[in-house]
Amino acid sequence: MFFYYLDLAWRSIKKTPFLSLLMVLAISIGIGITITTLNIYKMASVNPAGERSSSLFAVQLMSQDPDTWENLSKQITYQDAFNLLDSEVPVRQAAMFRTGLAVQTDDVNFSPILEGVRVTGGDFFGLFKVPFLYGGPWSKQVDKEGGYKVVINEDINNKAFGGGNNVGKTLLLNRKPYQVVGITKTWHPSPKYYDVNNGAFNDSEQIYVPFSLAPIEEFESWGNNNSWRHEDIRTYQDRLNSEMHWVHYWAELTNPAMQQEYKEWLVRYVEQQKALGRFKRPDAKGEVSDVATWLAYNKVVPEDNKVLVGLSVLFLIVCLVNMLGLLLAKFLKRAPEVGVRRAIGASRLQIFSQHLVEVGLIGFCGGALGLLWAWGALSLLSSRFDLEGSLSQLDSSMWFIAPIIAVSAAIIAGIYPAWRICSTNPSIYLKSQ
Amino acid sequence: MLSMKNINKVFKTDLVETHALRDFNLDVEEGEFVAVTGPSGSGKTTFLNIAGLLEGFTHGDFFLDGVNISNLSDNKSAAIRNEKIGFIFQGFNLIPDLNLAENVEVPLRYRGFNAKERKIRVERALEQVGLAARMKHLPTQLSGGQQQRVAIARALAGEPRFLLADEPTGNLDSLMARQVMELLEDINKAGTTIIMVTHDAELARRAQRNIQIVDGQVCDFTMYQGEQGSVAQGQSVADVAAAEVVTVASSVA
Repeated sequence: MFFYYLDLAWRSIKKTPFLSLLMVLAISIGIGITITTLNIYKMASVNPAGERSSSLFAVQLMSQDPDTWENLSKQITYQDAFNLLDSEVPVRQAAMFRTGLAVQTDDVNFSPILEGVRVTGGDFFGLFKVPFLYGGPWSKQVDKEGGYKVVINEDINNKAFGGGNNVGKTLLLNRKPYQVVGITKTWHPSPKYYDVNNGAFNDSEQIYVPFSLAPIEEFESWGNNNSWRHEDIRTYQDRLNSEMHWVHYWAELTNPAMQQEYKEWLVRYVEQQKALGRFKRPDAKGEVSDVATWLAYNKVVPEDNKVLVGLSVLFLIVCLVNMLGLLLAKFLKRAPEVGVRRAIGASRLQIFSQHLVEVGLIGFCGGALGLLWAWGALSLLSSRFDLEGSLSQLDSSMWFIAPIIAVSAAIIAGIYPAWRICSTNPSIYLKSQ
Repeated sequence: MLSMKNINKVFKTDLVETHALRDFNLDVEEGEFVAVTGPSGSGKTTFLNIAGLLEGFTHGDFFLDGVNISNLSDNKSAAIRNEKIGFIFQGFNLIPDLNLAENVEVPLRYRGFNAKERKIRVERALEQVGLAARMKHLPTQLSGGQQQRVAIARALAGEPRFLLADEPTGNLDSLMARQVMELLEDINKAGTTIIMVTHDAELARRAQRNIQIVDGQVCDFTMYQGEQGSVAQGQSVADVAAAEVVTVASSVA
């Protein structure tokens, strides 16, 4: 009977095209707005680490003096990062910050470009499962002693070398020659959870250089630099020795025992620093947060997004109330035909089902149109209001979610009109038709 | 086949109670052709709606094929309407968006017949009323008489035990009315029980039995026997034009 009802629904829609179009428009606008906000919310709240979420931990230290900041800083000092690298507990660990370097090649025709660069350890690539096309990370020795090695992604590889395996070739960064040791595939986790300070939804850096080069090359920080006290920082060495928080730190702790062991290691580290005259707060501590906790702590999904989703759902309800009125008018006009169908053997349930299939079809059309509205709205937001990278892309799941929400919402709106029409006494209309 | 005992139907509003049927008694045997007459507002249509399970009644007993159909669920009522009862209406009540075949097919859809069975039955029913060649036409492309024949085909497609016809010739001219009446007579001769509400005394006389309803009660019946119209007349309230009175019986409550 479903296909019979579908056929009847299609005929009914064709019979009242204007009224049907109004209903489709009403639900499509509601769905369009809901899907737009839902898409932004979903893209913002996705956990890009997947199943590794619970084994990757951001490390924080409460190193500031009393009567300064009350919360754990999102970053740590360079000297703490340097010290934490001594721990042998984590499977992998990496300190990191963002800088910018001028990129050149030996090719005189290549115009120099200024690129965001991630200064980090060789463990970074294993920590975050960065996929390689050619080569791999630099060695542990480079991490310890420094070395002019670089990992680039395929986009830079294409720009600088025209693509292909260019491991071993030289790339000039700020006019210094760096040997390419690895070429990664394009990799843009969204949100960029390993560094949410520098645009959580911006693309990842395309060039990576060793953290051990920072004191040598004196890379500038292109990220947040937060100080809880005034310090007279004149040289790069002053910066490295300062209490300024500007380095992110991540550790891979694969099981609860390892996590506990690392927490205990941090306790000992805090005590050690206290003995050295740092970490003067009585509640000084080290803390680790898995990816989900880290994203929540950083409010990667702003509360505003949730409010927006709520408001859009309210708007959808208003659209559905409009649709309910239109459906009621449309269905009750059909009461004589329903009377005939009831007289010749249709049960109330069959009439109810027939009408729900019709509203479902209207909902489906509204959902499809709503997806187009959502796509248009996201494009508009992206072009006019500089909506961040991945947030402006319509997530593939929305192709399923939109019709499901639209059909379900339409059916909810259609229950009362369908119930009214199937409950009417058929005999009233048989004589008058 | 159909037996109503002390059926009462009361319509209530806040201020008024209207007795549409009052202690209504009627028995219809299998294969009968019964004409129901009566003035407007007498309760004819209410009787037909109750007989067709389209309306409930306030109290009384109603047996169809020996089964008490009081308090039947909507599903069961719908199934009985679909399987046992065919309806023919004064206004034809065809669904204007569906072509003739699709109109005739509607009750078969609800009955759950497969496509092949539906096709066979639709073709047979439309052949029976002489409209097999116009299956794909819309009702609006037909005359009133043809539309009523389609309505009859729709009623017959499910091979019902009895037909309920509510002034089936009311919207037709005399020629078409005669043709429709002849069709109903043929259907009745084939074994289908027919109950027909009509205002037309001429048509009523062609039925085997006339029931007159006044103020919600059966107040008179007249039985016509044979093609020459020999008549058995009950208690006379209305002026029934009959030539020969053979016997007297009364079903007045």
